Amino acid sequence: MKMPTSAELGGIHPRSEQLIELTRSYDRGKTERPSVEKQIEKDTIELVELQDESGFENFTDGAFSWQDQLRPIVESLDGVTTGTRYSRWFDTNTFYKKPTVSGKIGLATFNLKKFIHADLLPKSKPWKVSLVGPYTFSELAENLHYKTQSELVYDLAHAEHEIIRRLKADGVSQFQIAEPCLVYRPYREQTLSNAELEIALAAIRRTVDGIDARFTIQTFFGDATTILPHLLKLPVDGIGFDLFETDHTRTKIETKKTLALGIVDSRESNIEDPKWIAETATRVSKHIFSDNIVLVPSSDLKFVPRKVADAKSRALAEATRLVEERK
Amino acid sequence: MAEAEEWAGRLGIGNYHDRAKQLLSTENQKDRIRELLELSTIYGLRLFERTGLDNEGVGGEQQRVEMYEHVIRGVEGMRVLGHVQSFDYKYFNKAVAESKIHRKHPIYLQEFLDVKENAKGPIKVPITGPYTLVDWSFGGYYTGQRTGSSLKKQKQEAKREFLLDFVEQVIRPEIRDLIDAGASWIQIDEPAITTHPESTDMELFVEGWNETVRGFNCKFSDHTCYPSEIGYKVLAEYAPKLDKCSQLALEFANRDGTSLGVDAKHREGYRDLQYFIENGFEGEFGVGVVHVHDFSGHVPPDAGRATERNIIESPELVRDRLLYATKIVGDPAKIWANPDCGLRTRTWDVTYAKLESVVKGAELAREASR
Repeated sequence: MKMPTSAELGGIHPRSEQLIELTRSYDRGKTERPSVEKQIEKDTIELVELQDESGFENFTDGAFSWQDQLRPIVESLDGVTTGTRYSRWFDTNTFYKKPTVSGKIGLATFNLKKFIHADLLPKSKPWKVSLVGPYTFSELAENLHYKTQSELVYDLAHAEHEIIRRLKADGVSQFQIAEPCLVYRPYREQTLSNAELEIALAAIRRTVDGIDARFTIQTFFGDATTILPHLLKLPVDGIGFDLFETDHTRTKIETKKTLALGIVDSRESNIEDPKWIAETATRVSKHIFSDNIVLVPSSDLKFVPRKVADAKSRALAEATRLVEERK
Repeated sequence: MAEAEEWAGRLGIGNYHDRAKQLLSTENQKDRIRELLELSTIYGLRLFERTGLDNEGVGGEQQRVEMYEHVIRGVEGMRVLGHVQSFDYKYFNKAVAESKIHRKHPIYLQEFLDVKENAKGPIKVPITGPYTLVDWSFGGYYTGQRTGSSLKKQKQEAKREFLLDFVEQVIRPEIRDLIDAGASWIQIDEPAITTHPESTDMELFVEGWNETVRGFNCKFSDHTCYPSEIGYKVLAEYAPKLDKCSQLALEFANRDGTSLGVDAKHREGYRDLQYFIENGFEGEFGVGVVHVHDFSGHVPPDAGRATERNIIESPELVRDRLLYATKIVGDPAKIWANPDCGLRTRTWDVTYAKLESVVKGAELAREASR
């Protein structure tokens, strides 16, 4: 049996206490924007160093300037604005600006810097960007334009496809497409219907179609056991799930796709023991077998303070080493 | 100091110069902070009085860092770990339970005593509810105690133990102190409850609430805001089960349109009120009629005005929101006009203007209902 060979980060990493202080001060009109930008660069460089020291293969920049998981996408599109409402990000104590769809969606302007600090990432390593997928985007937005969700999701998929194509052209080769709404919909009375699932899966296919990059579909905040078989049929390289919400013992799957195992809890502060991570990954692999397991946080690490997130990142790397030693 | 002096003049704080002088001459830092907190409370109370509010609350919680950290710093066993983002450039300092918790010292009592001494009108004491305190903290000690069951079940079991400890060891002693000191209305702030609309969490919330208020003779109300996409629908199902809960103060303006009108189309943000009526909640409603965060949308001239990052709702917009809420609830006596939540992120100028609109809008609604 093969076991995890790598670990990586994805999504928004928490801002440092210094950056938090500066952004607060900026928000009160007491600090100029360049000081904030400088600290964002510093935070990014520190995270790059952490990934380098930890032996990570795929590098993220931490997305320190992202205000929420949707904002850079919204700001790149026609037909949708950030709106005026703050809405809760799933069952967390964080909020996002709810996108308002008021016209036909399409890519407006693409600005690489909105998505990634490419200039601060090592040229010799693959770069990774995490984007909320078209189905989840549609679920979290307010639709004032499209007659059906299907039409909205299709155009979102097309627009995200364009964003990804440009990111790829600028050097990004790894993409995490986050689709938590496939597994967590407490605000909907019905579970995901087959028709909706088909819309979501078709949108993912449209998003990744024809782009030569590595794609992982990541789910979190809900139990993924029933959705995994469907995701495994997608033309993507990997699928991922949140181990703290998923009862993996209910399933038996064997796949050649990469399994991104959300094995450190991004919503609790305890630092998982690398030995526990390695043993748990082994237990999970008895139910969901993959040739390549990648250890990842259960979702964005922005829900814990920076020092906790950094310690969890190192624990992931250490767990990978433990597994390698056992081989 | 110039701003403090200006507001002292606007709010009629006559002895400002004497108090400022006394404050600056106080050498002991602890005493100086105490005087400063009391003076801040007086400012808050006068602000509320000047705008014409019927209830002065505790003068805008001037003595609190914010609703979470203020409590946590009074709890033995909790350690503040660092900031996490709430939204945009707003953060909160999140703590972890490192051992079994208990109250170090009274948390709200001194503030209440200052308010009681200086308020000219009725007082409502807002306190942060135990469910929210637990939900916004890391379980640490409680989570780490468990093995065996699934990771999800372990977290649920830990949450219940943590919650009941917060109720018994921190919140009930606090309520006892407040009531003994003369508090007659305590608002339990539970913004986190709409975060987890699953039945296990809702039942846990009800259990925690009922245990919190058990045996106390006092008016209790709940404040909840910014629910997830499901809105207040699930809370509405459970609200009738909350013992002694005589009012629900809820955020609505944030989700509402900004044009005038008293029909469902214009007042879309208030439609969830219907769920509470359908589920048989018989208490009052504190209806959020002004937005408390940044605003960037369009405002028709008769509905208010947009300033740099704010909307100042017109009294007419407040009126229409109240009239629509009254239409749903049926009894105007059950409707209170409130801001959506605390106005701590707004300037005092903006706060004053918004509260004036709340008061004038309520007057207009009363006139229209006659």
